[in-house]
Amino acid sequence: MVQLKRKKIEVKTKKVVKKVIKKKAFPGSKKLKVLNSLSSRLSPKKDVLREQEVAIGTAKFSHAKVMFAQDISKQELPSTYGWNKMALVVRDPWWLYTYWEVKESTWDKFKSELKDEFYKARRVLRVYDVSNIIFNGSNAHKFFDLEIREDAFNWYIDIGTPGKSWCVDFGLLLRDGRFITILRSNVVETPTDGPSWITDEEWMIPDEMFARLYGMGFGLGKSSPAGGVWRKGIISSPGIASMASPVKKQAPRSFWLEVNCELIVYGATEPDAKVTVQNKAIALRRDGTFTLRFALPDGKQVIPVKAVSKDNLEERVITPIVNRETK
Amino acid sequence: MHKGYLCLVLHGHLPYVRHPEHENFLEEDWLYEAITETYVPLIMAFERLVNDNVDFRITMTLSPTLISMLSDQLLAERYLKHINKLIELARKEKERTRWQPEFHNLSSMYLNEFSIARDTFLRYDRNLVNAFKKFQDLGKLEIITCGATHGYFPLMDICKESVRAQVKVAVAHYESVFGRKPRGIWLPECGYHPGHDEILKEAGLRYFFTDSHGVLHGKPRPKYGVFAPVYCKGTGVACVARDLESSKQVWSSIEGYPGDYNYREFYRDIGFDLEYDYIKPYIHPDGVRINTGIKYYRITGAGNHKEPYMPQIARNTAADHAGNFMFNRQKQVSYLYELLEKKPLIVSPYDAELFGHWWYEGPTWLEFLIRKIAFDQDEIKLTTVPEYLEENPRNQVVTPSMSSWGYKGYSEMWLQGSNDWIYRHLHAASERMTELVKKYPSVNGVVKRALNQALRELLLAQSSDWGFILGTGTHTEYAIRRTKDHLLRFNRLYEDIKGNLVDQNWLSDIEYKDNIFPGIDYKVHQ
Repeated sequence: MVQLKRKKIEVKTKKVVKKVIKKKAFPGSKKLKVLNSLSSRLSPKKDVLREQEVAIGTAKFSHAKVMFAQDISKQELPSTYGWNKMALVVRDPWWLYTYWEVKESTWDKFKSELKDEFYKARRVLRVYDVSNIIFNGSNAHKFFDLEIREDAFNWYIDIGTPGKSWCVDFGLLLRDGRFITILRSNVVETPTDGPSWITDEEWMIPDEMFARLYGMGFGLGKSSPAGGVWRKGIISSPGIASMASPVKKQAPRSFWLEVNCELIVYGATEPDAKVTVQNKAIALRRDGTFTLRFALPDGKQVIPVKAVSKDNLEERVITPIVNRETK
Repeated sequence: MHKGYLCLVLHGHLPYVRHPEHENFLEEDWLYEAITETYVPLIMAFERLVNDNVDFRITMTLSPTLISMLSDQLLAERYLKHINKLIELARKEKERTRWQPEFHNLSSMYLNEFSIARDTFLRYDRNLVNAFKKFQDLGKLEIITCGATHGYFPLMDICKESVRAQVKVAVAHYESVFGRKPRGIWLPECGYHPGHDEILKEAGLRYFFTDSHGVLHGKPRPKYGVFAPVYCKGTGVACVARDLESSKQVWSSIEGYPGDYNYREFYRDIGFDLEYDYIKPYIHPDGVRINTGIKYYRITGAGNHKEPYMPQIARNTAADHAGNFMFNRQKQVSYLYELLEKKPLIVSPYDAELFGHWWYEGPTWLEFLIRKIAFDQDEIKLTTVPEYLEENPRNQVVTPSMSSWGYKGYSEMWLQGSNDWIYRHLHAASERMTELVKKYPSVNGVVKRALNQALRELLLAQSSDWGFILGTGTHTEYAIRRTKDHLLRFNRLYEDIKGNLVDQNWLSDIEYKDNIFPGIDYKVHQ
């Protein structure tokens, strides 16, 4: 039997004010790139397979490059909807995302109730672990606080422990330690970061066999979101070394030059004449003119142009000879 | 006797892009390119297989947006214009490359392909859905549905009414097109959230797909890993997980097939390579260089130097790769058969547009694979999920885990600094739509039209493609525009309906522009 162990990191303290981990970027913010790179640094797994899939997915939308001035919406979406609302969604086993909106009248209510304290209070997200309970506001297994900027209206929350249920309050932390809830989110459940520990009796399966299956399910096992510990411990697929290299990329273009030559052959004759170029018939324009365009490789091209009158009685041949030499 | 099953799934989807208000619209090319490079080559491969009496099973998503575009008369007109221009360009290329035999042959090849694309398009009455339907009616193709506009469900869980609308509109649309209900669904981006199987069940759907960890991380632990379907606890809807090993064989940078040096190079296109005045009539009317689809080089190597493409060598490579893929599945199936004491089901899903558009030789590879499976071995049997379930009805009951096949396996691709701003608005619109349905349970006339249009606008705003493009961070203008336009139209409809002030001229205008799902019923959003 294979030992199934998993790192357990739990927040035991009742109140922990975590430092800001990832501040939400406002749409169009220039900080965006920094945040994105921060987020990928923080993210626990590299995902080569799916990176490749993103590249291919992007190719599907290969032309989204040009925008026409008249097409840009002049209107903007509303910045508020005039309601009290807090939404919580799961990004992955380790991160939640929340956004909220507080009505002006609600703010006014707290301002008038709390007076001076309101302005000295800190804006806080209180994140409750509500796994396997019906949350009533005071029965959470534990919680932690995140202090947030006054102008924030959304936030990414690093919850660290996969496979749990969460609820978030947006509120005010007063100087005397009291917490005033302004908004409460919905409850969400995050997925686990590995296989379930529940194995039912009827379908019992030896761990060793499951481990082999598990490894195969993830192919070579290196770029999946499966639990790291589980993977490292169990899977040793013979192909694993070949997965080490990242997505094949074009070598970065630095300075470059490309030169090609084309040759234009043009002329005119009677509109009803028959014309061949290098013994191949060509079509004339209505006025008897013609233009041909050739990619011109290195070497000598002999280009006989022959015109025959409609009645086949007359013929003219002109033969340009072109040499291309590239040094 | 066979020891296991292989279920090949092609996920065909493009977002709804149709701009009658502009004569030329660049993003409509996504469809035209996919028709020429993916759908027609697949159809041609299926036709050859049927003509040669090769039995096969392929599962294919045709997303409701894709079906709607393929069936649209305006887009059909425009496609013909597009392909005629390409044929004209290929003819010119034949002339121009007369002294360069290697390119001359390629221009003939393209001329031939473009002509076949046009002929096939016309042969199926300018609507390629007819072709796919034909193969479904022949029992070769299992066509499944998708979210109505490919909305990403896990981030919609907070407003399940929208998930329900995405599913129900899709199912009704499928039925109107194919004359029967769909049996399965491809959840957009393979995005599953526990509980959504209830909505699938309500809609009469019997199975869906997840990524590997959707089942592997399910509760309780799945006895057969990803190699057998599971039934969702409480609903009995079958959930089938992708096998990452076979995915990697096609995708991966190292052992992945499409990167082979003999294959065609995607990034070298005459739209960028040729002299400006010559190519100008075939790029964007504003003079912006774009891909034309005529590409003369093979991948050659890692550097920038590219050699001319050699179709016969590429074809041989595709045959080798098909053999290799089959060999690996045989090994995999034999191994699993011993291990599980049961015939495993290997599920290999791919974006359909991978075949042909990105991986030019993909349709050839697929055809070789199907022929080899039919004639060169007897260990693997091609199947579809309903066929498999027919033969193997008894499966474990599991609650699958939240998952997607996107970057890192969850929702980050659609929820990050560059695109998270959309959800506040999307969710608000969902909430408002639910409110409207409650408030107007049965109306007629212009209010009903406005309510139906409101649901169209909401669905169109929800396409995961906008979030995806925003997430990649490049060329995001169009995705921003689409998100905003549909939400702004929705918001105005919401206000107008509630104020009993619907402007009929404006309503007619947006009905004409966003004309998807003519038979939509707003009441499904509840």
